[in-house]
Amino acid sequence: MPEQDPDVTLLRPYLLTSGRAQPVDHTLEIETQVVTSDRGAASRQSLTFERRDIVELCRTTMSVAEIAARLGLHIGVARVLVADLAALGHVIVCRPAAALNQDLGMIERVIRGLEAIR
Amino acid sequence: MKIVIAGGFGVGKTTAVGAISEIQPLRTEALMTSAGAEIDRTGHVPAKTTTTVALDFGCITIDDDVKLYLFGTPGQDRFGFMWHDIVHGALGALVIVDTRRMDDCYPAVDYFEKAGMPFVVGVNLFDGVLAHDLEDIRWALAVNEEVPVVTLDARDRISVRDALLAVLHHTFRRVRTQRTSTVT
Repeated sequence: MPEQDPDVTLLRPYLLTSGRAQPVDHTLEIETQVVTSDRGAASRQSLTFERRDIVELCRTTMSVAEIAARLGLHIGVARVLVADLAALGHVIVCRPAAALNQDLGMIERVIRGLEAIR
Repeated sequence: MKIVIAGGFGVGKTTAVGAISEIQPLRTEALMTSAGAEIDRTGHVPAKTTTTVALDFGCITIDDDVKLYLFGTPGQDRFGFMWHDIVHGALGALVIVDTRRMDDCYPAVDYFEKAGMPFVVGVNLFDGVLAHDLEDIRWALAVNEEVPVVTLDARDRISVRDALLAVLHHTFRRVRTQRTSTVT
């Protein structure tokens, strides 16, 4: 969890991600689904701190935003860490082929799902 | 997939998310840096401002493969121009309005209009009372004719559901119209 000291809190996101502000993968949205790969599960012991936490947490599929919230990370930091882990093959990032928010079939699917709520 | 829940501070965004989310609303923070485009109240242009904003969000399972996230925008709507990462790729937005403080929703309405993001205005009924006619509210907000203006009770699951459905139907019509207008 983030420390209380404000200077450390400001520094921390950059220490964690080695000063990189841009994640390796620029298409990682906050709602992108992430799940730990078999390799990631097996490599858990070799990972440290937040990377290990993420691999542990993502045994259940969840979004980048959920990872950030549950681990107390800033969302930008979570995106960079997840992108790194994906590049290393420790997590799988679920990326749609095209912009689903413009897909009539997807919009209808979400409508049906909401209509089922009583 | 995601829908953005926007509106001024205290209008009921987190309440609305909480009313329908399957998970207890979660909060994450984003570090946002502005390049000094913002003039603060004292009339100074800061060289650079870094602010932490909180995002409250929830989730609804649509089916085995699809989850719908609801992301509430930060309460400080004056940082609207920093919303890109929250909004990008969203199905649409619900702008919640409190008729006692209608001005508060203007930044959100402006943002979505400029971004071309389909949105619906949801008038939150505090105490179940609609103090103004919906058409008067539409006029006061100066939103385009085609923007749906609906009422909602942010505390009520079905009411929030219906407002989200209004967003999706609006998005569907928009996308379908764009499709047919590009077919030659």
